[in-house]
Amino acid sequence: MANESVLVIGGGVAGVSSALKLAENGFQVYLVERGPIIGGQAAVFCCKATETCSQCSVCLVPEKILEVAANSQISLVVNSEVVGISGGIGDFKVDLLQKPGFVDPEKCIACGICTELCPCEPQKGIYLPFPETAPRTYIIDKNQCLRFKGAECNVCQDNCPAGAIDFEQKPKELEVSAVIVATGFEVFDAREKGLLGYGRYSNVLTGLDLERIFATGDSVTLPSSGECPRNIAFIQCVGSRDEYIGNGYCSQVCCKYAMRFAKLLQYQNPEAKVTIFYIDLQTAGKGFGEFYKECKETIRFVRGIPVEVCKLSPNELEVKYEDLTKGKITKESYDLVVLSVGTAPRKDSWDLARVLGINLGDYGFFDTQDTLDSSRTNVNGIFLAGTCQGPRDIPESIAHGIQAASKVIQTLTARAI
Amino acid sequence: MDNGLKLGVFLCDCGGTLSKVTDFSAIKAKLQKLSDVTYVGISHDLCLKRAQQAMQKDIKDKGINRVVVAACSPELHENDFMNVVQSAGVNRHLLSMANIREQCFWAHPDKGKAAKKAMTQIGMAINRARFLEPVEQTQISVNKDVLVIGGGITGIQAAIELSNLNLKTTLVEKEATLGGKLNRFANLYPVQVSPEEVLATKLKQVAESQNIYVLTSAELIDVSGEVGNFSARIKRGNGEFVRNFGAIIFATGYTTQFSSQIYGLELSNNIITQSQLEEMLKSSSEVKQIPKSVCFVTDISDEHSRVSPLSALRNALGIKEKFRGEVCVLCQNLKVDGAGLEKLYRDCRNKGVLFIKFDNSPRISKQDGKIKIEVEDVLMSGEQVTLPCDLLVVEETSVPPLDSKVLGSTLYMGLDAQGFYQENNVHLYPTASNREGIFFAGNCHADLDLMQALTDASNVALSAYQLLAQGKIAVEAEKVMVDPNKCRFCLTCIRACPHHAIQEAKVNHEKMVAQIADLACQGCGICAVVCPAKAIKPKDWSDEQILAEFELLGEYV
Repeated sequence: MANESVLVIGGGVAGVSSALKLAENGFQVYLVERGPIIGGQAAVFCCKATETCSQCSVCLVPEKILEVAANSQISLVVNSEVVGISGGIGDFKVDLLQKPGFVDPEKCIACGICTELCPCEPQKGIYLPFPETAPRTYIIDKNQCLRFKGAECNVCQDNCPAGAIDFEQKPKELEVSAVIVATGFEVFDAREKGLLGYGRYSNVLTGLDLERIFATGDSVTLPSSGECPRNIAFIQCVGSRDEYIGNGYCSQVCCKYAMRFAKLLQYQNPEAKVTIFYIDLQTAGKGFGEFYKECKETIRFVRGIPVEVCKLSPNELEVKYEDLTKGKITKESYDLVVLSVGTAPRKDSWDLARVLGINLGDYGFFDTQDTLDSSRTNVNGIFLAGTCQGPRDIPESIAHGIQAASKVIQTLTARAI
Repeated sequence: MDNGLKLGVFLCDCGGTLSKVTDFSAIKAKLQKLSDVTYVGISHDLCLKRAQQAMQKDIKDKGINRVVVAACSPELHENDFMNVVQSAGVNRHLLSMANIREQCFWAHPDKGKAAKKAMTQIGMAINRARFLEPVEQTQISVNKDVLVIGGGITGIQAAIELSNLNLKTTLVEKEATLGGKLNRFANLYPVQVSPEEVLATKLKQVAESQNIYVLTSAELIDVSGEVGNFSARIKRGNGEFVRNFGAIIFATGYTTQFSSQIYGLELSNNIITQSQLEEMLKSSSEVKQIPKSVCFVTDISDEHSRVSPLSALRNALGIKEKFRGEVCVLCQNLKVDGAGLEKLYRDCRNKGVLFIKFDNSPRISKQDGKIKIEVEDVLMSGEQVTLPCDLLVVEETSVPPLDSKVLGSTLYMGLDAQGFYQENNVHLYPTASNREGIFFAGNCHADLDLMQALTDASNVALSAYQLLAQGKIAVEAEKVMVDPNKCRFCLTCIRACPHHAIQEAKVNHEKMVAQIADLACQGCGICAVVCPAKAIKPKDWSDEQILAEFELLGEYV
């Protein structure tokens, strides 16, 4: 069993956790990521601490990225997708289509010469996205790079002292004993719920927008005026618990992040009023009940999901909902509306399911073969980890990633005997 | 004076970014004048392999025996630098770091002040380096057997997975049979397999495994020793015996209790708990009086538990299937944040289960043997609804079993506010206890549903495997050490150690002293702080090192 290798598809927090556990136990791991760097969606989320930690677990992600970067047992294969598989458990042959990432992370010394010389202005066509990336490599931004606009520019390639830039990278083939699928989720596209105004009104944001704003260290301001929001509404279950759009499941993360954001917004501006519209509050989990009690002191909770958000003036939105205490349609005005968007299955899961021959289940998440083993697929040797199997928060994704690693080791141990 | 010290200082300007705000060659020139400093080097990218190889060569070539790195946060690359130092033939603990990026140049806009502070930081690290001591690595052989306490589904699953990983496992259950709550539950919705079927499959796997040894009607009494070599005292019947294990997994689950004070009700033939209902559904064919209308009232004694609302959902559907009749669930917030729960809720509604949400607790009264529930239905504009019913099912809260609480405190394990086991770090190590080699799985430490508990079982099995599979554990010997001549054996350190890593030992067959178990010690240093005799020294952060740092800090301030 020693020296066996495992392929992990997806470099989000679940895949990274699987890869680390396998590597720690002596396996060679290929961590294949479609994008140029690992970390997945949670890598761009923000810390939600006020004076105290609100236990959102986002800080675990950079820590894991660095652990992967430091682990010599894990080979990162970025900018790549699995396009074919043959063989079976013990000897899978996997075809990878490596989209040209153009910069070879194993050669790049991060000297920065390429960025300096790149003729693209004002945004450079090649740069380091953020300091703690893994692999630590510069990436080429196809939206900026002149080559992708038809020009014959080779400045970076000619001047790279390490010879790390190659515009002609070839597909790879890997031989592995087992495969873990950890391709993650898609954030629900709030524009599908047109009446809630996302994409039409600048002051309607999603939870993901807030993550990004806070992650850059900025304070949240009204997109329309740049002022600090004073009256904020959160609308829960946007894209979750909604059979009409085909998502008949609870996303499991939105109640918690909404309450954490609400606290964070009030921490930023103690005058800010926050209302959360909900169906059922999901407050189970160690310590969360206490957090909810604190929230109730400063946050208004309203049962019922608004049907429509309208724009009254550039800085004023109107939220229309049924006030259940009176049984009447009520209109209230807010300056910022945040839609608590949930997790949805990736739309391209279908492609991977076809390539690997694994089944898709309810709502488009990958299906488990065994009702009591959420990592097992219908193909022996292919396992599932994280949100590609169903909604999960960060700690649960990590635990599920470790579970998949555990099942791989168990299955390969059994074969070795 | 030749003290044999040869200090090598490695500066990193982080890809040139720090050179833009300060003059590294000036820092280098100043450092070169310091005594014992043999070498000062400037690099742009110490975090990369190539620069680290050069660093390794410099250490070897210049005969450097103390290494100082001034770069980014030690959190990021300290371990890499330790590896470089080690590969150059120097003990990995003879490294001292100054964080001049995050703690200095990134934090201070004033270039002049920042340069002065960076210089002080590097000086402090150099001063500390003078007093560094080597810590040797050793390997301790361990017992590869694992003890699992609790024969419910989590414990059984952990044992099966450990056995799949080729570790011999002893599964201890206090009841006469394995299965725990699987024996009591009438269904496992949203999981579509019956508890009997699950139990039968799992028990077959246990029976077929060569690696699992089952002890029923047995209890763990006490544990001595530490990770890798625990001795567990187990009581079975009137007999007691001791077995040795490398790791221990607690899967002691939860028990339920009904608070009649909170409800203001006593249980009776038509007011029953969720567990009593389970029993009724389990033996539904023997039930003489089939209830025509059943009401569940939940979210009164514990609004934030998963156990009670899930039980209400499961059994509401169970009643619809077995007894038919009217079923109504009264709750504040339905908990659906688990796999398949929203679907289960919809199945209930499709079968005709009525859900009523309340903000103010319902009033429950008895009239002529019939139960009357009055509630303001918040989904109906707070309209007063009166529900008569044949059977009222009250919620139970989940509490830790008394014996698991007692066991927890005997074994120096932390307990949370409710008395469940407290994880060492809820985020980082959600299944590890404060004691190395002791793990938790399932509802004994968190409020989990079945699938989450099974994930936990997988996680602990792998943790135990990773710890024990090699048969030996690499450990840093005496990274924190007790000076037996100074130790007065006052027990202060033993009480203060959060990891129960300090035990008593005899020196020369007479004097009692405290002794730190290297395997269990996590190097937190609390014992060194509290020791009134100053007998305990963490080698990486000894008093000499810290005072030497302060000397320079004093000049700076």
